[in-house]
Amino acid sequence: MPETRARIGVFVCHCGKNIAGTVDVAKVAEQAARIPGVVYATHYEYMCSDPGQALLKRAIREHRLTGVVVAACSPTMHEDTFRKAAEEAGLNPYLVEIANIREQVSWVHSGPAATEKAVRVTRTMVAKVQGNRALRPAELGVVRRALVVGGGIAGIQAALDIANAGFDVILVERSPSIGGHMAQLSETFPTLDCSQCILTPKMVEVARHPRIRILAYSEVEEVSGFVGNYRVRIRKKPTFVDPSKCNLCGECARVCPVRVPNEFDRGLSTRTAIYIPFPQAIPSTYTLDVQNCLGILPLRCGKCAEVCEAKAIDFDMHEEILEEEVGAIVLATGYELYPKEAMAEYGYGTVPDVIDGLEFERLLSASGPTRGEIRRPSDGKVPKEVVFIQCSGSRDPEHHKPYCSKICCMYTAKHALLYRHAVPDGQAYVFYIDIRAGGKDYEEFVNRAMQEERILYIRGKVAKVFREGDKVVVWGVDTLTGKRVEVRADLVVLAQAVVPSPGTAELARKLRVACGSEGFLREAHPKLRPLEALTAGVFLAGAAQGPKDIPESVAQASGAAAKVIALLSAPKLAHAPEVAEVNEELCSGCGICAPQCPYGAISVDEVAHVNEILCEGCGTCVAACPSGAMTFRNVEDEQVLRMVRAALEVADVGV
Amino acid sequence: MKLKLAVYWTGSCGGCDVSFLELGPGLLDVLPQLEIVFWPALVDAKRGDLEKLPSRSIDVALVNGVIRTAENKEMVELLREKSKQLGAYGACAHLGGVPALANHAPGFTEVVFGPGFRPASPWPEAPEDAPPALLPEALPLDEVVPVDFVVPGCPPPAGLIARFFQAALSGEVQAGQVFAEDKALCEECPRTREERRLTRIVRPHEVVPDPKTCLLDQGMVCLGPVTRGGCQAACPQAGMPCTGCLGPTPKAGDPALAMLSALASLVRAGEEGEDAFPQENQILDSLVDPIGTLYKYAYAKYARPLQRLARRREEVRA
Repeated sequence: MPETRARIGVFVCHCGKNIAGTVDVAKVAEQAARIPGVVYATHYEYMCSDPGQALLKRAIREHRLTGVVVAACSPTMHEDTFRKAAEEAGLNPYLVEIANIREQVSWVHSGPAATEKAVRVTRTMVAKVQGNRALRPAELGVVRRALVVGGGIAGIQAALDIANAGFDVILVERSPSIGGHMAQLSETFPTLDCSQCILTPKMVEVARHPRIRILAYSEVEEVSGFVGNYRVRIRKKPTFVDPSKCNLCGECARVCPVRVPNEFDRGLSTRTAIYIPFPQAIPSTYTLDVQNCLGILPLRCGKCAEVCEAKAIDFDMHEEILEEEVGAIVLATGYELYPKEAMAEYGYGTVPDVIDGLEFERLLSASGPTRGEIRRPSDGKVPKEVVFIQCSGSRDPEHHKPYCSKICCMYTAKHALLYRHAVPDGQAYVFYIDIRAGGKDYEEFVNRAMQEERILYIRGKVAKVFREGDKVVVWGVDTLTGKRVEVRADLVVLAQAVVPSPGTAELARKLRVACGSEGFLREAHPKLRPLEALTAGVFLAGAAQGPKDIPESVAQASGAAAKVIALLSAPKLAHAPEVAEVNEELCSGCGICAPQCPYGAISVDEVAHVNEILCEGCGTCVAACPSGAMTFRNVEDEQVLRMVRAALEVADVGV
Repeated sequence: MKLKLAVYWTGSCGGCDVSFLELGPGLLDVLPQLEIVFWPALVDAKRGDLEKLPSRSIDVALVNGVIRTAENKEMVELLREKSKQLGAYGACAHLGGVPALANHAPGFTEVVFGPGFRPASPWPEAPEDAPPALLPEALPLDEVVPVDFVVPGCPPPAGLIARFFQAALSGEVQAGQVFAEDKALCEECPRTREERRLTRIVRPHEVVPDPKTCLLDQGMVCLGPVTRGGCQAACPQAGMPCTGCLGPTPKAGDPALAMLSALASLVRAGEEGEDAFPQENQILDSLVDPIGTLYKYAYAKYARPLQRLARRREEVRA
């Protein structure tokens, strides 16, 4: 016969002096022993230590305990520890509860009142555990395939790592080629190696990898399902060029009559309507930009198809919607620069010789519009005086973005240094607030720029930038000397703030992933879970989560990939069973619960249904349910009422 | 053997007595099986006649109305003693009903009757021309005597009356039985629910509701989700929001609090998040007469613990 009467054990932890220094732990154990249903109560110096856990296990066996309350630290710390220990002793882990007498008692109270509260908190949890049911975690299978959204360096690294571990990867990229911003950069700090030279081998590896499927010119349309079992709808836009036939001869572009600003060169050059973003683009094919094409329906030009010997151009190509199943998702959607059009003080982007950092990268790049010669956009002259303005739009909570964009100090130093290499008789000025060079060899790099290259660093903000003749006048203050500074420059480069790439918020909504106030994807825990979103099975990599340089993006991508690999390698996934549950005898199917669920776990037909795997146990639906049909396992109304009574009971608690 | 039936009204509008006619031709089947031993609205019988009956000689007694006066209390105690089973019939006996909203305004006699209001002294000295003394609060029946079952509604709908008679005539009324559904009346409501969100609150006279979609989605505070089914969602079908006369579903607890929590969950003003709070609060604040709307029938039954709490808080503060 199973034991029907409650036999509760109470274990009071000293936590060294953390609890015992304030709370009379012996008294708490003594009082707990008097609670009806408690058959064993003791106290011990460190319950989480091995001997402490052994004590718990022994007591469960010897006293045939049907429930355990450990009065110790917050359940976020050791609930798992004690539940696992109990399981080893044969007690269902969900019959173990923590009474938090550290964070909620000893750390915040003093005197005898602390002991009284500790008794009450313990008694409350005894009342709760008496109503607990034994639960089993739900198990589910895993689709052993991952989706990586974003084909920048972070997405590339994550895709490669996951694929190299033996799992299939779908890499979705919005633009026609993978590579991201890194493909646009000239050289990288602090080593000054060529960005494309180190990136393109990785791009080629992705292209050749048998386990990676690149879906370029594609966007994630809809995501449903849950960890291990996501269903993704991907919209693949037509490129009108069959990549298997295109031999990159480029004849099509030569005859195309259209000229539009080239996005890859940040508008500093033009491209045709049928184009390849850059020679090393992956997938290695031309793309017809239907927005700027003279017309496909009805066909009004068609010159490109006429000259294409490979017959790769197919005007009948249509948009495709692909449905894929994946077990895990990595979001690596990257960043964009805060638009210089938002900078009132720097001319709203109307001064042609005021450019942003990525534009300057294109000027520096050997593959750029000037073939690496530094020539200013307005008249193509070589600028002799260049002003670099750091924190343009960053660290300015009143007008722009409050945060530090992190990479600007370093890339500005690199810009100034590369400028001096390219124009040895030129003068570079850098306006800065602080120099933040906290990375390996970063400080040395900045010093090199300052000392060896004689770049003039001026500490202060720039108040105004305006055009005067063929000069760009910069008014600023040198806060170290307290003097006003005027520079009549030929070119001004703004280190614009880093912002999430457009569409990040929309994608986050589709995935039910949170965004912070500045729009960057929010990690599950800023310190201990920086690689994951709160939605299980969704991981974060690169600048989509916050401003990052290349090594950090790569490190985070590899970290996220490791998490994905661990997830996809698990034989089964278990999901905590402490979730919402519908009493179908009571549910009228009114549907008030469904829109409350932040995880999309509730569906309603005749009655509501909770998807046990999707539910994260927040309880919002339980509060919303007007008829009491929605309940929370092991936090039933009756239990809560018993807990409240136990907590507030006026009777003497013996302290 | 005919079923010995008593029907009595306390603080009642009289609608419950009339409601039996809702059975229509069905009444002709029921009536021959009844022996009406006491029913002031129907047959002439006085308190004295009831007192003369032996204890537990009535099979089933139905009380409609709130317990408002000392006389109400005495009469239902008497009925309780004479009956095998006693049921609360209608929302007033069940929950306190509309008359019990007066509990929210202590001292209402002053307002209603003026300073000259003088209730009679207790029975049997009561003079003919004075009203009986008022109890300090209007009470649902089960606060005064033990109640065996409930036929809810304002007044009870025909289907539920029929269901009651069927059980009573075959002697199958269960202790604690409520002659209504355990599920909320949304289950019976033919209106369609699409986007569950509350972007405004309107009163019934302010709009002509769409005939197909859920009234709550249209901004009417419909208590359907918190109220027992059994009426075939009669009011919502007619374009009026449910006011909760069948009482809350078994696990809903205080229906007003449950509904308030649901409304607060449903309210949406633009993008979700803290920025929307002031606007969402404005929407919720536009609920006119929250007590009369959310506690229309259930104030006596459910608000009393809250009132006690409030009083206790006053005492503790003092």
